Amino acid sequence: MSRPFRRTRGGVLVQLDAHERALLGRLLDDVDGLLAADADERDGVSSNASASLDDDLMAVLEAQLTPRPPSDPAVARLLPDGNREDPELAAGYRRLSEHGLRERKRAALGRASSALRRPAPVLLDTSEALALLKGLTDVRLVLGERLGLRTDEDAELLHDVVAAGPADPLAAAAALYDALTWWQESLVSALR
Amino acid sequence: MAPAELEKADVEEQAVPDVPWITIVWNDPVNLMSYVTYVFESYFGYPRAKAEKLMMDVHRKGRAVVSQGSRDEMERDTEAMHEFGLWATFQKDT
Repeated sequence: MSRPFRRTRGGVLVQLDAHERALLGRLLDDVDGLLAADADERDGVSSNASASLDDDLMAVLEAQLTPRPPSDPAVARLLPDGNREDPELAAGYRRLSEHGLRERKRAALGRASSALRRPAPVLLDTSEALALLKGLTDVRLVLGERLGLRTDEDAELLHDVVAAGPADPLAAAAALYDALTWWQESLVSALR
Repeated sequence: MAPAELEKADVEEQAVPDVPWITIVWNDPVNLMSYVTYVFESYFGYPRAKAEKLMMDVHRKGRAVVSQGSRDEMERDTEAMHEFGLWATFQKDT
């Protein structure tokens, strides 16, 4: 089996087949969709500010001044707290950084996804390869959260799920997660 | 008004260097050892050996202090780690 990514003089060559590239592109788009939905949720809070009744205004202001982690745990893993013990520090960090962080993640996901849609052979320049590296991480974080991975042991157990075959309802997702892990490992090597 | 504000700012700034802040990276089941090492090398500019040692601390001890400095710098480092998908926090060094 050939390596999924290979460094060449012209950049990082993507050796995934058309089906795999399409799949990866769709996963990157899915994560972008989650972040877009989270942005809408936040914006909903801001745009209500002008229209809401006075008694809602305090709640709206509070939500803006002390923003909470995203309600979807997978999105919360992409945009985590900056401090786990001091809620004030965490809220301050989120207020300052969350918007920019979400936008930069979305930009990377978009850049990686469009690069993969180019006709083969797909050659990534350094910034596209880095965008894909970050995007692959975000896809694996979301999938890992959906699969309930909490500890290193959970991650080890995934291999058993894959080995159990289609009988296990989680098998398809676990196999996908395994493939993504192998692709990311290969991309890290290609960037070194 | 303005000079008074300025004096107040001076006093606050003087207090900062006495209390260094730190950025901590925590273990998580998703991120790969090779990737975490790559991030420490490429973002902090640490040599391979130091990046690998920090990565092993994260993996075995569950966490590692990856940088030290002012609060602003640590917020910036934490944000960069989050952009890479690493689980990082910042706090006052105690």
